[in-house]
Amino acid sequence: MLTPASACCIKTLMNEIIALLGGTLYGLLIGIIPGAGATTGLVAIFSFIHLFGGDPYLGVIFCMAVVAASTTGDTYTGVLLGIPGANSAAATMVDGFPLALKGKATYAISAAVTTSTVNGLLWGSLVFFLLPWYTQLLMIFGVPELWAFMVLALATVGFVSSNLWIRSLIAIAIGIILGMIGTDPYTNSDRWTLGWGYLGDGIQLIPMVAGLFAIPELIAGLKNRAETAPRNNKDHWKQTIDGMKATWEHKWLGLRGGFIGAFVGVLPGLGGAIGDWMAYGAAVAANPKEEFGNGNIKGVIGPEGSNNAQKATSMIPTVLFGIPGASFAAVIMALFMYLDFELGTVDLANDEKFFSSLTFGFMWATAIVGVMCLLLTQYIARIAYVPYKYYFPILVAIMIWVCMQYTGGWEDFAIFVFCSVLGLACKKYKFSRPALLIGFILAPRVEALTYQITALYDINTLITRPIFLVIMTATIGIFVWGAFRKNRINYS
Amino acid sequence: MKKFILVVALAMFTMLSFARTDVPNYVMVVPQKPGGGTSVWAQIVATELEKYLDGSITIKHIPGARDIPGFNKFHNELQHEDNVIMVSHGGNGVAFLQENVDYNYADYESVGLMNLNIIMGIHNDADENNPKFAGGSGMVPEAFAMALMICGPDKSLAQYIRCFQRHVIWVRGMSSGERRLAWKRGELTGTRENPAAFKKHVMPAVEEGRARVWMHHGILNASEGTHSDDPNYPGLQLEILFEQKWGVAPSGEFYDAYKLVKSFRDGLQKALWVSKGNPNLEALREALLRLSVNEESMANIRKKVGDYQWLIGEQGNQQRDTLMTFVTEPALRTLIMFNREALGLDSVYKSHIVPEND
Repeated sequence: MLTPASACCIKTLMNEIIALLGGTLYGLLIGIIPGAGATTGLVAIFSFIHLFGGDPYLGVIFCMAVVAASTTGDTYTGVLLGIPGANSAAATMVDGFPLALKGKATYAISAAVTTSTVNGLLWGSLVFFLLPWYTQLLMIFGVPELWAFMVLALATVGFVSSNLWIRSLIAIAIGIILGMIGTDPYTNSDRWTLGWGYLGDGIQLIPMVAGLFAIPELIAGLKNRAETAPRNNKDHWKQTIDGMKATWEHKWLGLRGGFIGAFVGVLPGLGGAIGDWMAYGAAVAANPKEEFGNGNIKGVIGPEGSNNAQKATSMIPTVLFGIPGASFAAVIMALFMYLDFELGTVDLANDEKFFSSLTFGFMWATAIVGVMCLLLTQYIARIAYVPYKYYFPILVAIMIWVCMQYTGGWEDFAIFVFCSVLGLACKKYKFSRPALLIGFILAPRVEALTYQITALYDINTLITRPIFLVIMTATIGIFVWGAFRKNRINYS
Repeated sequence: MKKFILVVALAMFTMLSFARTDVPNYVMVVPQKPGGGTSVWAQIVATELEKYLDGSITIKHIPGARDIPGFNKFHNELQHEDNVIMVSHGGNGVAFLQENVDYNYADYESVGLMNLNIIMGIHNDADENNPKFAGGSGMVPEAFAMALMICGPDKSLAQYIRCFQRHVIWVRGMSSGERRLAWKRGELTGTRENPAAFKKHVMPAVEEGRARVWMHHGILNASEGTHSDDPNYPGLQLEILFEQKWGVAPSGEFYDAYKLVKSFRDGLQKALWVSKGNPNLEALREALLRLSVNEESMANIRKKVGDYQWLIGEQGNQQRDTLMTFVTEPALRTLIMFNREALGLDSVYKSHIVPEND
C-alpha cells in the first residue's frame, strides 16, 4: 500500500520522466530538421512553455533535454543530407557527408553519436554536478569582475568568433544600439524609441533570436537541396559497431575535441560553431599526412567531441552570472525567466531542485538520445529524408506565433520582420550574428554595471582586485591578438 | 511558393483559432511579462480565486515600459468590459505620481488590495550617515528616508538635495537579484526588502551579527491616514527613529513628500481593480473575502508570495481615498524636484492629479 507521500513522489518522478522523454524526442526531431537546431527549437518552446506553469522545474528538465538531444540529433542532417541541422554539425559534415556518399552513413553517425554522448556525459558531469559548488564564485565576483567579464565576452565574440573582425565589431555596435533602446536606467525615461511607446520596453529577445538565427537558416534550408546521400540500410549493425570501435580507437581525438569545446563553451558569449571548427582543425593538425574532407572518420570524431561538451559548459556563465555562453543559452535565459528563474541571483544559487533539474534533463537526455541513435538509426534517419517543404511552413508559422506573444499586436510582427531582415542581411554580408546578439543582450547590463563600477570603485581600489586585473589583461590580449593575427580561420 | 504561403496561412489561422476558442469568464490584466513578480502573484491569486467564483480566470499579460502601457490600456479600453480585472503593483503607484500615465485610481473600484511594509537593513560595520544603496525609481521612498535621517529637520529642499548627494552613494542600474548579491558581498552597505524577502535575504546576516535592521516605513492605517509601527520590528519606524535622533517629529513638505511616495508604493503593493459600476464587483469581492478566510488558500498564496495584509472591498476603496489625501501640491512638487535633482530621474509634475480642494 502506497503512502500519500510515496504516491506523490512517484507522481513527481513520472512527470519528470515525461518531461525528459518529451524534451528528448522534441530535441531529437528539431535537431534532425535541416536548418533548425537547438536555438530554433528553444524559441519554439515559447508557444507552449505556459504548460509548465504548474511545476516550472519540469520546464527546466524539458529545456535541458531539448538542448542535449538536438545537439546529437543534428548530426543526421549533416551526414545524410550535407546540411547541418544547426551549425553545431557543420564541421562534422565536412567528412561525414562524403562518408555517407560512400555508403557509410551509419558508420559516420555511430562514431559521431558515440563521441558526442561520451563527451556530453563527461563534461555534463563536471558542469552540472559541480554547478552548485561553482555558485560560490558569485560571492567572489563583484561588480568590477562582472563588468570585466562582460567586456571579455564582447571581446571574444568580436575578435575570435569570426575572421572578419571589423564586421564583428560593427555587428556588436548594432547589437548594443538595439539593446539600449527602451528605458534609460539613469533617468527612468524612454530612450531612442522614436516616440513609439511600444519600444519603451525595448526590443524583445525572442523576435531578435528568431529573426537573427531561425529565419535565415530556415530560408537557407530551402536552397540547400543539391545532393543527398542514398538510403542504405546494408550492414547496418556492422557499421554501427565499427563506428563505436572507431570512437574507441581515436578516443584521444574525441576527448581533445571535448576539451576544446568545453573551453570555448565556458568563455562568455562565444559558443556556437567555433569550438567544433577548432576541434576539427586540431584533428587535421594532429594528422598532417592524412587526407580530410573526403570521408575521414577522424574528421567526424574530432568536432563531435566538441559540441555536446560546449553546450554543457556554456551553462556555467549562463547560470552563474546570467551571461549567455552561446546563442541557445540566451533563449534558455528567457525561457527560465518566464518560469520565474532569474539566472545569476542568490535565490537561484540556493535552489537545489533547480540544479538537480538541470542535471537530470541534460544528463539523461544525452544518454537516452545516444542509445536511441545507436539502436534506431535506420528509423530515425527516415525523418531526415522527409521533404523540407513540409517542415518549413510549420516552423515559420511557429516562429511568427511565438514572436507575437509579447503584445499580440501588429507591433510584434513589425519587430519580427525587422529582425528577420536584419538576420538575412547579416548572413548575406557575413556580419557576425552571434556578435550582434551578444551585443544586444549585454548592452543594458554593461551600461548598468558601468554606472555601478563608477559609483562604487575608483582606480585605486580596482587595481587591488586580482581577478579583475586578470580578466582585463585577457581582454586586452584578445583585442591585440584579434586585431593583428595573420592566420585567420573562417568559422562562418 | 504559392503552396508554401497557403500552408503558412493555414497553419497560422489554425493556431490563432485555437488561441481564441477558450473564452474565459474573467480576464486578469497583468501589466508585465510572465515571470515578473506581479505575474507570479496574479497567477497564484487567480488560481485560488477561481475556487470561489462561478467562472474561470485567464491571465492576460500586457507588458510595456515600466509596466505602464498595460494599466493605460485598461484605463482607456478594457475597463469597459465587465469581465476584466486589473492587477496593479506598487511601481504603478509611484509611476502614477511622477510619470505621464493615463490611469487614475480614483476612477475604479477596488476589489481588494495588499498592504505591506518595506524594511531596510544595514551592515554593522557601515556608516549610517554615508550608506551605499541601490538606486532606481523603486527606491525613491528609501532615498527620502535616508535624506531625512541623515540630514535632519528644518532643511530646505535644496539643502536636502545637497545633503543627500554628499552623503549617499546612489548606485543605479541594479536589478533586485543584483542588489541582493551586492549586499551579500558588502559592496552595498544598505538594502531594503519586503517582509518575506527581508526574512530570507537580510535576517540571516542580522542573526549572524553582521547586519542590523535599520528602519522601516511603517504600516499605513487607512482609516486614520497615519503609519503605525510594525510589530515585527518594533521601535524601528522612521518616524520613531527620527524623533529619537533629532528630538522632534518629522514634519514639513519634505516629510510630506516622503509620506506620499511611500504610501503609494507600499499601500498599493498589489491591487485588483474593476471599473465603477461593474456588475461583477460584489461577486468578486465576496470571492476574495471567502478566499481570505480559507486557511488552505491563504497558505498557498503565502507560500508563493509572502504574508501581506489584505484590504477587501470598501476597505480597499478607503485605502485609495486615504492615499489621495496625501497628494498635495507642495508634497508632489517636492517629490518631483527631489527626484530630478537628487536622483536624476526624469519625473514630471502633474497638476491634474492634485485634488481640486487642495
